Amino acid sequence: MLQLPPATDGQIATINLFSARDQSWNRFWRMPQRSGTAELIIEQEQFAAQFCGDLEAFDRMETLVCELAALEPEAAPTFLIAAQVACATHRFSEARSSLQQAVAKGAAADATDRLALAIDQATGENLHRVLAARRERAAQPGSWGELIPLGALLADLGEFDEAERIYHQALQEYPDLSPFALAWLCFQLGMLWGETASEADPERAARWYRSAIDYLPGYVKARVHLAEILLDAQRHAEARALLEPVIQSVDPEVPWRLADEAACSGDSAREAQYLHTAHQGFETLLSKHLLAFADHGAAFYTGSGGDPVRAFDLAKLNLANRPTLRAFEQAYAAALNVDDIPAAIRLQEDARARWESIKAFQFSSLSAVGSAPTGQDNPSAV
Amino acid sequence: MSDHIDGPRSIGDPSIDLTDLFAFTSPENPARTVFAADVFPSAGANAMFSDAAYHAIVTRRVTVAGTGDQAKFQPGDQEIRFSFQFDRLQAQPGGAKPIQSGTCTLPDGQKLKLVCNDEKGASTPDGTFRVFVGLRSDPFLLAWIVAGKMRPFQNLLEHDNVLCIAIDFDTQKVLQPDKGSLFGVIAETTPIPKTGGFVGHSVPRYDWVGRPEQTNMRLNNPGLTGSEDVRDLWNQQTPFAISPKLMPVFRQRMVESLKNWDMRDDKADWSAAQLEASATVLLDDFMLIDVAKPTTDESFLEIEKSTLNGRPYETGGGRTINANDIDMLLTWMVNRDREALHGGAASATQPGSNTFPYFAPPNTQLQSLMQSVDLAASPEQVWAVVGVFGDLSWHPLVADVSLAGSGPMQLRTIETVDGKQIIERLTAEESSAYTYANVSGLGVSDYSGTLSVRPKGSGSTVLWRAQYLPDGQPDIIVKSILGALFKSGLESLKARFGAAK
Repeated sequence: MLQLPPATDGQIATINLFSARDQSWNRFWRMPQRSGTAELIIEQEQFAAQFCGDLEAFDRMETLVCELAALEPEAAPTFLIAAQVACATHRFSEARSSLQQAVAKGAAADATDRLALAIDQATGENLHRVLAARRERAAQPGSWGELIPLGALLADLGEFDEAERIYHQALQEYPDLSPFALAWLCFQLGMLWGETASEADPERAARWYRSAIDYLPGYVKARVHLAEILLDAQRHAEARALLEPVIQSVDPEVPWRLADEAACSGDSAREAQYLHTAHQGFETLLSKHLLAFADHGAAFYTGSGGDPVRAFDLAKLNLANRPTLRAFEQAYAAALNVDDIPAAIRLQEDARARWESIKAFQFSSLSAVGSAPTGQDNPSAV
Repeated sequence: MSDHIDGPRSIGDPSIDLTDLFAFTSPENPARTVFAADVFPSAGANAMFSDAAYHAIVTRRVTVAGTGDQAKFQPGDQEIRFSFQFDRLQAQPGGAKPIQSGTCTLPDGQKLKLVCNDEKGASTPDGTFRVFVGLRSDPFLLAWIVAGKMRPFQNLLEHDNVLCIAIDFDTQKVLQPDKGSLFGVIAETTPIPKTGGFVGHSVPRYDWVGRPEQTNMRLNNPGLTGSEDVRDLWNQQTPFAISPKLMPVFRQRMVESLKNWDMRDDKADWSAAQLEASATVLLDDFMLIDVAKPTTDESFLEIEKSTLNGRPYETGGGRTINANDIDMLLTWMVNRDREALHGGAASATQPGSNTFPYFAPPNTQLQSLMQSVDLAASPEQVWAVVGVFGDLSWHPLVADVSLAGSGPMQLRTIETVDGKQIIERLTAEESSAYTYANVSGLGVSDYSGTLSVRPKGSGSTVLWRAQYLPDGQPDIIVKSILGALFKSGLESLKARFGAAK
């Protein structure tokens, strides 16, 4: 494994992020029309959501959009920020519409181009064009920040070796001291080896997730993913020790995985308590940001959430919103889980028509040639 | 904020982003000099220094190597360096705020242990050096909008804080001015070499600063539209030794920028030769201070200006905390001191003081609370219910409201269901929002609350927010009282109008 670049201690960086974010909000309420403040808040809130499990950040971002719409309804930054927030909460058609208005109002081309690429990438649209644009942007001087989305796209396309090479390049060329981007990179490498690559390597994935947590001890998503690997490896106590420090997070995946751990440990009272918390947490998130959490909800209800019908509904919703290969795979598994074989067959055919040309499809559960699914197919292999 | 958030790279970790550098004669003791640097633009109330970078203030002796259109300041080879390294946080018992320590390595190699935010600072046993590190009020005053047509504006840094490093030292012992009393000073943040060696690319430095606004106003003049951003390239340069290969790029940009500044008032006050000379001086980007002469709030840039004007300088130059340096800088660049330009504010949030550590205490950060609910009804329908300041009958925790007066300044006295009394005053009202102040009953001061209804999708969103300073009881108690009040009110609206789908 590479020696990792130095960074500011994660505890310091997190304290600095939260206190700077509060300062930014204070400034916004004091001088709402001051240029740059709203953009900074969006960046800080996205960091809080992504790296610290602060999912209420999405609500605050929505509030900001409403305030900007009331203050400067026709300004380019208002539309651009609305598009960013819609994209962050997976309301992609709304994001495209706001982005169009931002372009029409003269928003900076670099910002609108970047967001257009992010939307296309998230929805699986024009991926070869997106790849060409990502490569071009990453080749520009001073464009370190373009490497991570390029790596993520390559991984989605099944180009795992190149994705890993790009991530390693990003590690080697990191020009800053913020631990957030480094933790993200390590997390992406964990995802690559734990979930995306044709042959999963859980040990390798676990090492990367641990590195992400070393950079940012409060990185909830990295803890959850690592805990899943530990639970699969029957290392229950380690999984529990990993999750309990972040139980205060509003991310329902934490109590979900703790419920799984309790079930494995035979503690049914604790399992029921955590499942109840997880269920409430998912439903709260789904009631506020349905599209943003539809895939997470589907995963929960397919698993310990124990409601395969709801899981299939959410998976279909997610697929309609962004027909990526991963969304097809999830919907396919959910269809099999409710024994809806005709739907599974349709999904398989649609996925083949849309995704057969990319390398990742070869490794997909949907690619089995000529094999119509049966009720015996194992959804958990997806 | 001489170069707050001054490049895409700095946006990464704001705690290594240098904002300002100061150099002045100690107002406490004229035999001592103060060097100070600030990092972390708009730092929050709990801001801490990065433990992964060196923070340094460096000075070199400088000679005047030319005057008039040949003006040039030549730095010597020997540097005097004050270097700081900060530690990880130390947890405190009972959940108290963690403490950060650090070490200052002095020019003679002595190491001085520091505790952040200790107002007394730390001193060497002989008193030669005294050092403070910690959060302070941002002394910078930027009261201009300079993009497009220049116009005075309120101080954009009002109420902001920064992390400050201040060194107060015996001028004679440390700088030996008899060998030459003119010095150039810079501050920089640089990587700490990693034990074992990280295999990969390592940047030579993250940020550095000499005179104020080298990057954001001069090299990246917002008046030069379409120009490539050279700030990161500049920040990678070695102070006192800009790459000769890149110097033509920076020179061309600097001359274009200075020309643009000169013409901001549509009058040419600088000849081509003068602009070239000024570019030469400004590209040698270090803060000039003559420690044998006095510095004042007016002496900023006097050394450069006099030298460019072909005459001996008279003051110590430098930059004091209370110098209104942006007005002075803009006046010089725009009209060559023909007519003083004044921004929209005359002073920073808090002035610096005459006693160590000179920088004013941090501004108290207002606490914020905001909650919202998305409803299935139109903004008009919702506002008809919640938009009357004197009517809280929709709120389940309110037993009664009595109103005194009318229009702005009217008072409402709220009796809560558990017998508490809260008095609030209306401060502003618009079509779908009102703002009010708390008079009594919440244990807060400077309270500003706003209830607003905005359209959202086919329905509406109600936002209830407040900013305040806790006064008389801990913030956690205030937050829980206000939180319960806001939440129960907003939840009741969900029951009344239905939640947005």
